[in-house]
Amino acid sequence: MNLALRARPRLLVAEEADEVAVRLAGVTKVYGKGRGSVTALDDVSLDVGKGEFVCILGASGCGKSTLLSLIAGLDRATAGRIDTPVAHPAVMFQEPGLLPWLTVRRNVELPLRLRHSADGERRVIVNRLLAMVKLIDFADSRPHELSGGMRQRAALARALAQDSQLLLMDEPFAALDAITRDSLHDDLTRIWGDCGNTIIFVTHNVREAVRLADRVVLMTSRPGRVGRIWDVDIPRPRTLDSADVAALATEITATLRLEVSSDDR
Amino acid sequence: MTTARLARAGRALLPRVLAIALLTGAWQLLVVIGVQSPTGVPLPGPGDAVGAMADLTRQGLLLPALLNTITRAATGYALALVIGTIIGAAVARVPLLRSAVGSLLAGLQALPSVVWVPIAALFLVAGGHDENAMYFVVVMGAFPSIAMGVMSSYDNIPPLTFRLARSLGAKGPQLYRHFIFSALLPGYVAGMKQAWAFSWRSLMAAELIIGSLAGAGLGTLLDNGRALLDLPEMFAAVLTILIVGIAVDDVIFSPVERALLRRRGLLAA
Repeated sequence: MNLALRARPRLLVAEEADEVAVRLAGVTKVYGKGRGSVTALDDVSLDVGKGEFVCILGASGCGKSTLLSLIAGLDRATAGRIDTPVAHPAVMFQEPGLLPWLTVRRNVELPLRLRHSADGERRVIVNRLLAMVKLIDFADSRPHELSGGMRQRAALARALAQDSQLLLMDEPFAALDAITRDSLHDDLTRIWGDCGNTIIFVTHNVREAVRLADRVVLMTSRPGRVGRIWDVDIPRPRTLDSADVAALATEITATLRLEVSSDDR
Repeated sequence: MTTARLARAGRALLPRVLAIALLTGAWQLLVVIGVQSPTGVPLPGPGDAVGAMADLTRQGLLLPALLNTITRAATGYALALVIGTIIGAAVARVPLLRSAVGSLLAGLQALPSVVWVPIAALFLVAGGHDENAMYFVVVMGAFPSIAMGVMSSYDNIPPLTFRLARSLGAKGPQLYRHFIFSALLPGYVAGMKQAWAFSWRSLMAAELIIGSLAGAGLGTLLDNGRALLDLPEMFAAVLTILIVGIAVDDVIFSPVERALLRRRGLLAA
């Protein structure tokens, strides 16, 4: 199966590359074998357009993080096809994962160092990214000296330093307080607008999904499948407590509640 | 600024000075109440011990012994560092090796290395390799701590660090250089520090029992004192051994360890 994944001819992808950033076709992930096996994802198919901001929403245990790991190439699908024609994706995790022995600047420039970019170029890029996430004054601080929100900003800058047109985010703001999260939502929306990259954002927070996304994909649990998909036509800038956001969030929450209660039976 | 720094250094030093004064006082008290050996040799006081240190220095015995011992300790420690690092890395990275010798290493670490002295005496000293016998004992005493330091700090690298490295596309040398080596460092230094303590005591046991044709060490000095019933010399040797042990930890290992931990926010202030 993995062979099939790898062997996909590049040409096939190229025709569609203009529109599609990520294409999932019949993606299935099973953990374990035989009677004890657990199907985390079952036949998930989804296209994400170039430059699109998609939120994958679901209760905990629905396989949404698994799905992100598969797209990131950190894990292998049991069956199905995953294509990311635009680029090798950049990933941002729920924990910032900053290296504690490096300053903020060195953490952010790590992807550039791994690519052996030149010193001068690296400096320019990192300064621009640090300004973008409002951390320019903390460039020489160490991760432990930063607040939780600042650490996630640094992690975002590091992900952007990978210069990938595809950014995968796995509940990156879940551990933050509401006010910090809100300001990071603003920053992320602005950065996405500036960079024009594709973002797949996993969350269990309905309002967060509605506030950020072009499209909200609700996943059902056990096994994880694509449930309903909502197009979010609310104009930006959006706020968490605007009537439009609240109304759609209420609608999605109702569906999610049905889903969870049927799961509990 | 300078006075403030001096005051801070003084405050940090004060408890240590007090503790030393207290211990010296207690020692002197034992002398005053007339503690002596069953054969009637009186316990020497702190003053006698320091006097004996001065005498031994004047006679040209203390410094060469100190130098011999430190050279041996450094050589043995360096060998243990190389061997321990290689074994630790291999055991950490190769699952088969880990299940085979992982627990053996922990056992070796707990094994008092003095047990190797008679064996080394029989196999190496008898063949005229008395220096090698001492290195053998030091290495056996010290390398398990180094190996365990590498192994356990490798195990303690957060899984997220490896996921991050993979998502950034770091492989092979890059993975080691940018992620693993730095992540290992605090645990490695802690292992080095413990290995130093073990190699120092192993060497003393070896010097006491084996002695050396190549030159007297601090352990030999202690053994000579015993043979001649020269208690001040014995205490002078013990004091010197203690001071070197503390000094190496204070000057080399502890500052490095503290700096590492502080940089990572694992140490208060």
